[in-house]
Amino acid sequence: MKTLILGIGNAILGDDGIGVHVAQELAKRINDEKIDVMDADTSGLGLLENIAGYDKVIIIDAIETGSGDIGGIYKLRLEDLVNTVDQTSWPHGMNFATAIEFGRRFAANQMPKEMVIFAIGVGQVTEFTEEMTAKATETVPEVINLVLEEIGWAHRALLR
Amino acid sequence: MSRMRKITIDPITRLEGHGKIEIFLNAAGDVDRAYLQIPELRGFEKFCEGRPAEEMPRITTMICGVCPTAHHMASTKTLDDLWKVEPTSTAKKIRRLMYNAFQAEDHLLHFFYLAGPDFFVGPTAATAERNILGVIGKVGLEVGGKVIEARKRLRNVVRIIGGKPVMPSCGLPGGVSKAITEEERKTLIEAGEYAVDFCQFALKAFDDVVLKNKDYVDLITGDVYKHRTYYMGLVDENNKVNFYDGMIRVVDPDGKEFAKFRPQEYLDHIREHVEPWSYMKFCYLKNVGWKGFTDGEDSGIYRVAPLARLNASDGMATPLAQEAYEKLFETLGGKPVHNTLAFHWARLVEALYASERVLELARDPELTSSDIVNLPTETPKEGVGVVEAPRGTLFHHYQTDETGILTGVNLIVATTNNMAPIVMSVEKAAKSLIHKGEVSDGLLNMIEMAFRAYDPCMACGTHALPGQMPLEIVICDSESNEIKRLSRF
Repeated sequence: MKTLILGIGNAILGDDGIGVHVAQELAKRINDEKIDVMDADTSGLGLLENIAGYDKVIIIDAIETGSGDIGGIYKLRLEDLVNTVDQTSWPHGMNFATAIEFGRRFAANQMPKEMVIFAIGVGQVTEFTEEMTAKATETVPEVINLVLEEIGWAHRALLR
Repeated sequence: MSRMRKITIDPITRLEGHGKIEIFLNAAGDVDRAYLQIPELRGFEKFCEGRPAEEMPRITTMICGVCPTAHHMASTKTLDDLWKVEPTSTAKKIRRLMYNAFQAEDHLLHFFYLAGPDFFVGPTAATAERNILGVIGKVGLEVGGKVIEARKRLRNVVRIIGGKPVMPSCGLPGGVSKAITEEERKTLIEAGEYAVDFCQFALKAFDDVVLKNKDYVDLITGDVYKHRTYYMGLVDENNKVNFYDGMIRVVDPDGKEFAKFRPQEYLDHIREHVEPWSYMKFCYLKNVGWKGFTDGEDSGIYRVAPLARLNASDGMATPLAQEAYEKLFETLGGKPVHNTLAFHWARLVEALYASERVLELARDPELTSSDIVNLPTETPKEGVGVVEAPRGTLFHHYQTDETGILTGVNLIVATTNNMAPIVMSVEKAAKSLIHKGEVSDGLLNMIEMAFRAYDPCMACGTHALPGQMPLEIVICDSESNEIKRLSRF
């Protein structure tokens, strides 16, 4: 079984880069030929190319919630996003669930059987900076532990 | 104002872009004004200042996940100009090849995503069907596979040359960082061949489905989606469309050459107007002047991107694209074409041109020469680089101290050139389509079509989940009470 850990975001746009920061930290810790760790500034169809061929994909991404819960961690399954499958008037922003649906129709055999999404509530995503807000930064170690738990590495990580 | 009613389409974009079209109705239920608002990503210039200029081709690719190759190329060309170094002949060919592959891929994808749902499924079809999945349903499953395959091959070209599939990192002042092997060249040739075939197929599909349907032709040529404006685009020494290099040419609403200038002279020709209700700046031709959101000879508003490039040129430099160019103008009544929906058709003509260019350059044996960079020897001070991004003319302008540390950065991104026309187009469509307060979902899509034709891209940079918010339409009565709310799902 092949697993991909994929951090998504823009590392120079404040909190939007949280997925990238988490993935880069995990890449230093995980050394397993069955687990790839990748970060990408991508969305929509670009995402499909990255996840094709894996059995399980764990995604770390930023989320803007209605309540503005910065640093909140949401563990989501694809089903949680299913009501966002839609046409888009904005092809550049083809949303996550639509991209996966597209992949299922045209490359079903390459789509992962299992997807887990760790979505982290973010604040500042409109000003170019490599710095994240304090609340988002504080969340990083917790997200790392959750991902390690998800791949059954929590114990090994603690030993270090 | 108290007698006005307001319809909000919010957002037309994904969450992080959060664009908003607001349409104000008067007491009679007709459209008074329409506004387009886009939030601003701040601080990019400040972020860049103090960094070495050589980092810019890498940093600017991160502004936007949609057209990183355009920023990379504009930035690399700005470095050429900053150090006054001419790239080697091979380096220019390698850059052009990558750039045309990117252009073809971007255009094809957006044709099937943007124009596709409106033309193949229908402008007023049920929202649930008006999407790429609906398009595939109409034109056949195998087309979905072909779109993916064409895109995969063209992105592979960008990967081979640029080092990465999405964000290239090959550009150096005076050249590129990596030579092409003979084996790689074979892959590039195959990609070019596939893309040329696929673009011809796409144009044929457009012909069959759109041009043979009178309703669609009426829609394209009708007054709802028409503006007489100036047009701008890069042209080569024969005034043919060029995406990578050349002079910037502007034609007037009658198609006569109005200006032709070097990229370094852009500030003598382009000014930006500010409105109190928007973060956005609106570009106009300095030598005509800002006359408000209005078209015609006396208004400095100009358009960029596929149709504008075709209007501003004397043709395409490759044979198949030239045929397609001639057919477009013959069908739509000669140059210049002012019909906004024809941007979609022009996009396909350009995709074919870009694919032919990829193939032609890939077949050139000089491509695999190892003479790929001229090292800079001058002291840097100021540089300007311009390319035609898929969505229009893209300007990069840097100033540095004598060690090459950035002291000033100015970018005019492609869509900014088109902002004023987009606002005009949305307002005109709204005024033409909404009467007596009657607003259906289909009509609102037809208003959005005015916006979509430009393939605008303003939601640069972020990818926060879920990637898109519901499209909501809120209709309020004259006392601002909500009387109706429509949602796409």
